[in-house]
Amino acid sequence: MMIEALIAVALIGSLVVLASPDRYAAQLALAISLIPVAGSLWMYSAFDGAGNALLGGDIAFETGPITWVEVGDYALQWHMGLDGVSMPLVVLTTVLTTLAILSAWTPIDERQSQFYGLMLLMQGSLIGVFAALDFFVWFVFWEAVLVPMYFLIGVWGGPRRKYAAIKFFVYTNVASLVMFIGFIALVFSLDVTTFGLPEITAALEGTGPTPLATAAFFAMFAGFAVKVPIVPVHTWLPDAHVEAPTPVSVMLAGVLLKMGTYALLRFNFTMLPEVAIEYAPFIVALAVLSVIYGALLALAQRDLKRIVAYSSISSMGYVLLGLVAYTVHGVGGATFQMVSHGLISGLMFMTVGVIYNATHTRMVTDMSGLADKMPVTVGVFVAAAFGYMGLPLMSGFAAEYFVFVGSFQSDTLPNHGMALATAIAMFGIVVVAGYLLFAMQRTMFGPFELETDYEIVPAPVRDVTPLLVLLGLVILLGIAPDLIYEMIRDAVSPVLENGGDL
Amino acid sequence: MAAFDFAPAIALLPFVSFLIALTVGKHLPKKGALPGIAATAGALLLSIWAVVAVAGGEYHHAVLYEWVAAEEALSFHFGILIDPLSAMMLVIVSLIAFLVHVFSLGYMNDEGEIGLPRYYAGLGLFTFSMLAFVYADNLLMAFMFFELVGLCSFLLIGFWFRERAPPSAAKKAFLVTRFGDYFFLIGVVGVFATFGTGMFASVNGFESFPELAEAALAGEADVNTFGFAAETWFSILGLLVLGGVIGKSAQFPLHTWLPDAMEGPTPVSALIHAATMVAAGVYLVARMYGFYALSPTLLAIIAFVGGFTALFAATMGVVKNDVKQVLAYSTISQYGYMMVALGVGAYVAATFHLMTHAFFKALLFLGAGAVIIATHHEQNMWKMGGLKDRLPVTYWTFLVGSLALAGILPFSGFWSKDEVLYDALLIGLENPIFLGAYAMALLAVFFTGFYTFRMVLLTFHGEPRSDHAENAHALGWNVKFPLVVLGVLAAVAGFINMKPVEDLTGAEILYLEYWLDGEYGAVEGLTYGAYNTLVADVSGLGAADIGPLLPGVIALAVAVAGVALAWVLYNDPEPEEHTARLGAVRDLWYNNYYQDEAQVWLARNVTLPLSRRADTFDQGVIDGVVNGVGSVSLTGGDRLRRIQTGLVTNYAALIALGLVVLLVAFAVVGGWF
Repeated sequence: MMIEALIAVALIGSLVVLASPDRYAAQLALAISLIPVAGSLWMYSAFDGAGNALLGGDIAFETGPITWVEVGDYALQWHMGLDGVSMPLVVLTTVLTTLAILSAWTPIDERQSQFYGLMLLMQGSLIGVFAALDFFVWFVFWEAVLVPMYFLIGVWGGPRRKYAAIKFFVYTNVASLVMFIGFIALVFSLDVTTFGLPEITAALEGTGPTPLATAAFFAMFAGFAVKVPIVPVHTWLPDAHVEAPTPVSVMLAGVLLKMGTYALLRFNFTMLPEVAIEYAPFIVALAVLSVIYGALLALAQRDLKRIVAYSSISSMGYVLLGLVAYTVHGVGGATFQMVSHGLISGLMFMTVGVIYNATHTRMVTDMSGLADKMPVTVGVFVAAAFGYMGLPLMSGFAAEYFVFVGSFQSDTLPNHGMALATAIAMFGIVVVAGYLLFAMQRTMFGPFELETDYEIVPAPVRDVTPLLVLLGLVILLGIAPDLIYEMIRDAVSPVLENGGDL
Repeated sequence: MAAFDFAPAIALLPFVSFLIALTVGKHLPKKGALPGIAATAGALLLSIWAVVAVAGGEYHHAVLYEWVAAEEALSFHFGILIDPLSAMMLVIVSLIAFLVHVFSLGYMNDEGEIGLPRYYAGLGLFTFSMLAFVYADNLLMAFMFFELVGLCSFLLIGFWFRERAPPSAAKKAFLVTRFGDYFFLIGVVGVFATFGTGMFASVNGFESFPELAEAALAGEADVNTFGFAAETWFSILGLLVLGGVIGKSAQFPLHTWLPDAMEGPTPVSALIHAATMVAAGVYLVARMYGFYALSPTLLAIIAFVGGFTALFAATMGVVKNDVKQVLAYSTISQYGYMMVALGVGAYVAATFHLMTHAFFKALLFLGAGAVIIATHHEQNMWKMGGLKDRLPVTYWTFLVGSLALAGILPFSGFWSKDEVLYDALLIGLENPIFLGAYAMALLAVFFTGFYTFRMVLLTFHGEPRSDHAENAHALGWNVKFPLVVLGVLAAVAGFINMKPVEDLTGAEILYLEYWLDGEYGAVEGLTYGAYNTLVADVSGLGAADIGPLLPGVIALAVAVAGVALAWVLYNDPEPEEHTARLGAVRDLWYNNYYQDEAQVWLARNVTLPLSRRADTFDQGVIDGVVNGVGSVSLTGGDRLRRIQTGLVTNYAALIALGLVVLLVAFAVVGGWF
């Protein structure tokens, strides 16, 4: 019942905050959001799951399946639980939400109760997405995430917030529809009586790349690819990020993108491994394209937030590369990268936000020499940027290294094609260093200059605190990846066995 | 209590000083210098203790920490390997770091610099990373600390971040070496994928990847060679790792960051050039020499890159006006010699030169630093002159360092460089392709002698050519002490391996060779003898049989010729710039063969436009399609809306029309006609 308790705290908390006066909303939301943090950390420490939740593993904190409604021959069930893949993502969600709420104190200065209420609502839905083991419950949470996100961008966003919010909403919603149709078509071809994900996975075992399975695979792939996003369905992301206020960007990059990669892992790569391997060349090509093309786009940007936004596309390419590798370190590294990227990109967006609070501009060309004025913030930015570049002993390196080792020795492509693809994709680590170092040199160092004429003072403690917490987590996971990597490997290993020859 | 119980502390002590300087440095009396000095002194003592223990016939290996718990074959862990090579390097690194810390008291604290806690934190982290790199027992750990070394160089080169040039130089240093590290990382991943281990030594039940490679070549082990022949694949892996070496050790064509790195504080330059960043590359090749020794192709490439770099960098040093620039090019050139040595299987000579170079280059940089403080931060040699009498300690130590760099008997550089050249000649005479590397290295000796003494003469001799030089102020003990220590070492360090003397007298005095050959203690397979066997038997490189005397005399004569030419041209109270006489060559050298321009062009005119094109394409085409789809549905909806006029007659007409259409359709399909 722990999962339900966490979701309930978030949802009830959301209502309480919505009803509270604006003056106390921030503090109240922070206090409430600490409960899921404590709860999820306790769950992490008491985690007793083993194996993969979809493949007959021991599910931790399981409730159900309890039949909820019967629709024709199918029973809709309430079924929640965690395994080594979803546990770290739930902790990531709760921790990032709290830090994002803290980082909102400075920039959000109107309609606070609604803002924080929506943040908590989103948190509850996100936990549901990662914990649900029944398709319908999962889908309800999946869609429920969009609603608060739409308002958070559309109400508190920048000048073009309406365009960005509608683009985000329509794009991802159409994608959900495509995915839904594909998955339901697949389920109807099976001999199952529920929408339970474990049952469906079991029923699909050994299906092979039939035409229907292939069609369903690509419908789902397309749907999730938008969410991740994978090139070429990525263009909603930079717009959404640029318009979204800092805390919303943190949640968007930190957790929402991981819904896409998480779903890819759960649905496409766990349920239909034969199709994935059959079409591996195509998927690998998309992964490499996302890495290199995303990095090139980041290089062309002059807005700090756009740089980070595009770099996310690049980083998510590594996740896809790892998933399609079907090796322990490939799939495990991809999962590790989801958590690691959630922390690092959250940290980057937060730091850019703190800088923006002071400068009121994010354009690289508008400022220089900030290090002199805001030493701690810039110090964190430098550390975060090196984390993003994959500096060893920070989580980004661990994630990328696992993915590289895993995909390099993968046999999914013939003639050791994965080794070559990995080597090409790895060039991303040079480009990422290029654009981040360039941006840092221009904005952080050199003589102090600022186009917008604001007086720059060091950021307040409450703005810096979430940065330091995140940085600490990034370093912690870089030094001790096994804090989560052990349970991740345990949970992804069955996926590989399910993949047949690997 | 054994020496090795404290091995982790060798690296961790500087890490503690990093933490102290970072957190409470600004409240400390010397802003973090004292913890740094204490920590590096401690690391030095522990390193010496480790050397004593190794000399007593032991070696040390321990797995400290499982980064990712071992499973199947892949073990990602941090471990310590202390054998003759790493023990020696630990002493060098901690000694130089210690002296650099002391010197910094004079160079940074006494000059009233701000941001000192950041400086000492950087030095501490730098020393920690390098020491951990040095005794890493596997390739992954080595890579990780190799990268951290890169980070520290970024932080320290860009120390004066309020100016424009240092951050730019820092960026360049990290980016250029990152380009090399890209290949290195592929190499690391490839080594783990191929052998399932990155261990350097077969100890404690581990198998080392060089030995697995050797076994695979002999057909005794089965490894995944990714569809290539084993030899080809191992050569590819070796080349990939070499990418990182070329970046960090500033070999052609990735050397361009090093001269720019002079923007950092001079003590940092000393540390980077002598003991940390640049040394890391060459050290890595020596550390996994058992792997490189297997492939004649790799050896030839290493020798050629080294020989070419040695000559190429030396020519550029000839025309520079900034004292630190001259030293920077000399570093690139000297590391070229070490690469030549490694390329011809001269493991001892390479290590020997790595050691002597560490002493005399640290000495020269600190000496240059002393001159720079004394002349109120003047770096242009044409504005110096006449400092000989004003700064006697600096002058005499600097002279010792210069004699060592130029390779003049009996200073340390002579012995090590001579051995490099001698070994290169031996291999070259039997395998003519290596003669090219020897010839380039030998020619570089002339240039080295020339630019070194041009530098000495312009800086210290003649008349003062500026007010700053005239009013050079006296220096404190914290500047002189490191100079004297290094001066002594630069003079005598060569005596531990005097090959010509041994040949002449027959006395057994090749102590370094015995040391590296495991006569005192070593891990089996990581010895000079073992590597020699590999180079001769597996790579098939035979050596000629001639004595070291004649080659030594030739090398010395070439060096003396270079020094003499400098003496003739520049030993003048009012020396002239003779460089103009070189004409176009001077421009070419002064502009570094337009290497930087080429790289900047690559970045500005190729990469950036490419990324802009991609951006335009992305905004225009890809996002255009998305917005297009959006507007098609919007417009479509808008058009459709127009038929909803609200007039009953219109709807009635539409319904009637629809009915007719349906009837006709049914009629056609149903075959009523």
